[in-house]
Amino acid sequence: MRRTAALLSTHGGRSIPRALADVLVCPLSKQPLRYCEATGSLVSDAAGVSFPVLDGIPSLVPKDGKLLDDQEVKSEQESSTTDSSG
Amino acid sequence: MVALTAGISVAGGGVFSPAGRRRGRGPAAFRCSSSSAGERQALFSRIAPVYDLLNDVLSLGQHRTWKRICVSWSRAKMGDRVLDLCCGSGDLAFVLSQKVGLDGEVMAVDFSRQQLQTAADRQQQRWKLCYKNIKWIEGDALDLPFADCYFDAVTVGYGLRNVVDKSKAMREIYRVLKPGSRASILDFNKSSSLFTTSLQSWAIDNVVVPLASGYGLTEEYKYLKSSISQYLTGEELEKLAKEAGFCAAKHYELGGGLMGNLVATR
Repeated sequence: MRRTAALLSTHGGRSIPRALADVLVCPLSKQPLRYCEATGSLVSDAAGVSFPVLDGIPSLVPKDGKLLDDQEVKSEQESSTTDSSG
Repeated sequence: MVALTAGISVAGGGVFSPAGRRRGRGPAAFRCSSSSAGERQALFSRIAPVYDLLNDVLSLGQHRTWKRICVSWSRAKMGDRVLDLCCGSGDLAFVLSQKVGLDGEVMAVDFSRQQLQTAADRQQQRWKLCYKNIKWIEGDALDLPFADCYFDAVTVGYGLRNVVDKSKAMREIYRVLKPGSRASILDFNKSSSLFTTSLQSWAIDNVVVPLASGYGLTEEYKYLKSSISQYLTGEELEKLAKEAGFCAAKHYELGGGLMGNLVATR
């Protein structure tokens, strides 16, 4: 709980969505989300959908999800793998 | 008269569509039975700028008391992780924020981005250190973006009445609650008393709507009457909660029977 509060209190547009990705799940699949820095969105790999974060407020209404095409999924997963191994 | 007016306001997270953008469409556009979720979302976005003011004026500030009761009955406490669903401009979220403190977290969900923006603006203007524990999320009450058994308490203030599928919403609330935890759901009371029903109807027609018309929101607030008549009675709400899986559910009347608060325990 303290860790979550500390993460949520961090200022800066990038850290807030990343912290949200830790606590939110995809409204469609109920699976974890990951934060994509390139698009500033929360991505559900399970559903193949991304959800925007606008003015620090994530939009997790199912109908507002954007389908990821295969190329986007591949490049984002490669980027995620590079970040975690770096 | 004062009590009557006090009981009626607090339109809450209902379904008030932007009348301004829908000029030319008659009252039928706002009838509860034919309103889609999209129309409801638009309605609440429309009233966002004057929502708080009208709540205060029409209830003579009483809505704050009812909301504090709602939070108190949720049994939210320091360090808890809580959800305020249909949060609107954030009244309940701000109360919850102080209850759970910086070691807790408040997830405040609404389907209207305009209401959420108003809430975020209020968060900045009324800045208190504990308000850092609130996260505003645009979401759907029928598909919550949280894992099972995630929250220590859930509150809903004047929101359930306006959800298109109340059964599904109740099941989602149940899903995200930890076992043994409570949902506290405040709304207008659909009374079985003819006197109370008549009083509500009179006050909406003669006080609420005329006042709202001063802000160009006549149709929006006319919606209130039909939404209450199509809502569930206290007994029906208790049944709905039990059908969703809650082991206990009790509806309490507030504000002289004009308001009601359902307390359901998972």
